Amino acid sequence: MRPTGIWFSSYAAEARILETRRARAWLGLLTAALVCLPFLTGPWLLGEMTNLFITMIAVCGLYVTVGMAGQINIAQSAFVGVGAFTAAKLSGLGAPIWAVIPAAALITGGVSVLFALPAARVKGFYLALTTLAAQVMFPIVILALPMSWLGGLVGLPVSPPSLFGIGLGTPSGLYFLGLAFAALAVWTTYNLPRSRVGRAFRAVHDNDSVAGVMGIPVTRIKIAAFFAGALYAGVAGAILAYLLQFVTVSSFTLFASVWYLGMLIVGGLHSPLGPILGVIFVTLVQEGLHSAGNAILQSGSGLGGGEVFAASSVVLGLCILAALIFEPRGLAHLWTQTMTAFRLWPFPRN
Amino acid sequence: MKLTKTLLAGATALALTGSASAEEYVITASADYSGPFADVMPDAMAGLNAMVDYWNAEVGEGLGVSVDLKTYDMRYDSAVVARTWPSILTSDEPIIHLGFGSPDLVTLMGRLPNDKVPMLLGTAMVGLVWKPDGWHFSIRPTYSHEFAGLFNHLQKQGDGPLRIAALSTQNQAGFVDQVNGVKALADQHPERFTVTSTQWADTAPVSLTSQIRSAMADDPDLLLVGGTTAQVIASAKAMDELGQRVPIVMSTHNGLSEVSKGLSLEQLEGFYSAFSFAAPEKGDLPIRDVFEEYKSDGDWGTITAQASAQAILALRVLENAIADVGPGDVTGQAMYDALLAHEYAEDDLLGALPTLEFDNTAPFPVGDIKATAQVVEDGEITTVQPDWFDVPQIDKW
Repeated sequence: MRPTGIWFSSYAAEARILETRRARAWLGLLTAALVCLPFLTGPWLLGEMTNLFITMIAVCGLYVTVGMAGQINIAQSAFVGVGAFTAAKLSGLGAPIWAVIPAAALITGGVSVLFALPAARVKGFYLALTTLAAQVMFPIVILALPMSWLGGLVGLPVSPPSLFGIGLGTPSGLYFLGLAFAALAVWTTYNLPRSRVGRAFRAVHDNDSVAGVMGIPVTRIKIAAFFAGALYAGVAGAILAYLLQFVTVSSFTLFASVWYLGMLIVGGLHSPLGPILGVIFVTLVQEGLHSAGNAILQSGSGLGGGEVFAASSVVLGLCILAALIFEPRGLAHLWTQTMTAFRLWPFPRN
Repeated sequence: MKLTKTLLAGATALALTGSASAEEYVITASADYSGPFADVMPDAMAGLNAMVDYWNAEVGEGLGVSVDLKTYDMRYDSAVVARTWPSILTSDEPIIHLGFGSPDLVTLMGRLPNDKVPMLLGTAMVGLVWKPDGWHFSIRPTYSHEFAGLFNHLQKQGDGPLRIAALSTQNQAGFVDQVNGVKALADQHPERFTVTSTQWADTAPVSLTSQIRSAMADDPDLLLVGGTTAQVIASAKAMDELGQRVPIVMSTHNGLSEVSKGLSLEQLEGFYSAFSFAAPEKGDLPIRDVFEEYKSDGDWGTITAQASAQAILALRVLENAIADVGPGDVTGQAMYDALLAHEYAEDDLLGALPTLEFDNTAPFPVGDIKATAQVVEDGEITTVQPDWFDVPQIDKW
């Protein structure tokens, strides 16, 4: 609901994601702060932020597949792994970063199509199982392939990236790389629902039988949803490979896939704001607790690491539980409610 | 006049304080308080802390140097290591890093030569990264070397080649490498060792009856299970079901102290755990006395012994670096040089490790490699023999 006094004189103005000048000013401020951050802080925060951006890209992809199109996917970590191994292999062959990242995205998208095919015939828990198969098969296939292909048991080293002679392997270089692609991921995530394909995703999500009757090619759209989500995973994997500088299958586990899904659910499945808030919330709580734990450990408090980190894991679980109990529709819904109340104040929302 | 005297006295006191203040160096350590090794981590960190406290009090003070040990919970996760390491480099400027397991190894081994910080691991090395010119070293040789030390000892007690059956998992590179190393041992010493079969299983199997039946068909003298604790327990149960029994040989991460949490020591009678730092129950072990004197928490055990050994080697390297470059000029490069340039005698290492020497050809001790082992005898875990085993030569596999 918009407060009195906000009106639009053209369709383009009404169609804007950021409707008001104030919203655009806030975005400008946020952008300026994010761009200035590397000049104001040390490598620890940059490392954490880079990781947050990478996770955000992967969870944005999950939002497209699960949130928009309603296709359950618990193999996002495996798709991130495909992107990472593709990037490692291509960079090892001397491919430049501007070719590596798009190639990683496309190859990951291609691989995801294989596991999207069952979506034509099954849904719900059955579809979840087929994506689980992708997650289980990923390490087995990498390990079974000849070692000269993808490193097999050992894994693959990744050279630090550079773009037009500028090294991006530093914490600030990787931060800007992550920031740029996270911004792109968020922009596409916000705009996809406004596109023809995005509306088809939503129709299939709501009722695929009706969508078919309306002329939407349901099978093709379901496969496209997997493909689109995996494009994000491929980009996230490529940047992660540059961050890790060494990729092994053990970095891309089912546990990570479940975390991605958990972040999306905490943030909200039905809004593009969901993956953003979910990733920020879980990362903030997780890393905040961890930093506090490390600080306590090094402060000479007499507390052992066992007690400190066991307590922090319990608190992390409680925070996630609290978020879901108090706002089961996700933090994005809570955010929207709060912002609406703020904009309409002092009048009630309803 | 009084003011001048006071100022002079103050300046003199300040100067004296300044000259007496110790040079402080940071040693960083990876821990795993929230990953798969969380349950043993308090004891491991207790070992590191006790050794640093001992060294600061009894050695560093005399040298005018103190060590600040900073521990980071890396969660046994490569991604955490990758994003934490740059900040460690900037904020702590460590002279050496004490690593823990494969996440540290795979993430840092490519970076350390550029960062000029050596890393000492407490876990055994794997042949997969047996390459020259690294800045990553383990206090232990490869798992396969450690097993070879015990196999060498057992083979000498019997007639003919020792028949070894192996059970492992293909999901983890290090575990496959263990088997490959033992196969290399058998290939290079065919008159002494034979690998009868290799059985592949899940990391956490429910039942290994069919694999153990296949392994037993070749009549092995022992079964090597270097992977997981769950595999050892399932193998022992499968042998009970089949009414057959041969000793199981394991490492430390899945060793007797871990397996005894799931099986009674009576069920483990005759089973071995092979490694290459001093067994915690070894008689006359100075490092255990030091730990007991300086510990603030934790209990002495296998993981504590391993971590203490890791720390004492790092601190002895620091002593040599101080002797080489002076107490005020120790850097990561100086530590690396000191590690490679000196021999580290067993006595200097408080009996925690055999005499060690390193060079740039391998990421683990070279030369006369030694190992040890524990065995369950009469329901008790004991050292197989008081002295170290000789490890037969194994060429790179």
